[in-house]
Amino acid sequence: MQAETPRSIVRDALLACGVAVALAAGLNATRTDALPWVAPREYQVLVPCPEVAGEAAVLTPDDPALADLLSPSHAGGRTLVIDARGQEAFAAWHVPGARSVPYDYLAPTPPETVSAILASGATRVVVVGDGDDPDSGRELARELAGKGLKNVAWLKGGAPALKAAAEGRRP
Amino acid sequence: MTLPRTWIDWGGHRWLALLARLYLGGLFLWAAVHKIADPAAFALDVATYQFLPLAAINAFALVLPWVEVLAGVMLVAGLRVRSAALLVALMMAAFLVALGHALHLGLDLSCGCFASGGAEADPISWRTLVRDGAWLLLALYVLAVDRRPLGVERWGKDS
Repeated sequence: MQAETPRSIVRDALLACGVAVALAAGLNATRTDALPWVAPREYQVLVPCPEVAGEAAVLTPDDPALADLLSPSHAGGRTLVIDARGQEAFAAWHVPGARSVPYDYLAPTPPETVSAILASGATRVVVVGDGDDPDSGRELARELAGKGLKNVAWLKGGAPALKAAAEGRRP
Repeated sequence: MTLPRTWIDWGGHRWLALLARLYLGGLFLWAAVHKIADPAAFALDVATYQFLPLAAINAFALVLPWVEVLAGVMLVAGLRVRSAALLVALMMAAFLVALGHALHLGLDLSCGCFASGGAEADPISWRTLVRDGAWLLLALYVLAVDRRPLGVERWGKDS
């Protein structure tokens, strides 16, 4: 056997790759469900997006800090209420002065929405979600905190709990 | 290779390299099975890395398992061992780059190494990166020192 040289090592490796291509082509050609060598269309891959999640405080509906949120005079105050529910739920009921930012589990909140919240002048942001598990309010609050917003909180129980509190009863 | 001759010439390397070869060879043969059995699932695994262009994904998914098979057989049998080790080292290096890219992006996906079918089946993590790094070192060790490999190629030529 000839002594191995770097050139012969690379040559034999390339030869093995050639044999691999031939074997792959041969087997694929015999398959009933042969894979096309070039994908005809983009693969639909669903990979969880990298989460930029920060820490957001949690509030309960009976928190004294929330007392004035439900008053009609709240709108324009220093606390900005963001409603993470869908447009329909928002239209049905929402905190006076709340801003609708429907949370999308598959897409990040648009930068312009975050910029608008930053430009609101509010010193505190309270996110009200659907109260489900997971709670859209919690998710949006964490996302906003991760994007640099300070003093962000979310309401445990979400809009249903807050609405019940407003009506003077527990959910 | 500029390693000291005395170290490279040490007779124990061929036995240590044999262990490394059997381990790596078995590993690659095992890893190739699910990819050959279901190339479409493996192609999806490759696509989720978001690393290769679309035009290369299927060809990669079809050919790579056979490179793994041939490298595995060559390592186990002792046939053109250093070429096989070179192939394994290149594959591991490529896997490491793709894995590092995916981890850097924070993607939660299946490694695709030993199973297909989602992140739950074979998830990637920094541990995967360390594991692949260790296998790369093993392959480089075989490539560097196994110059008179035990196996079919030298059958009957050694005393």
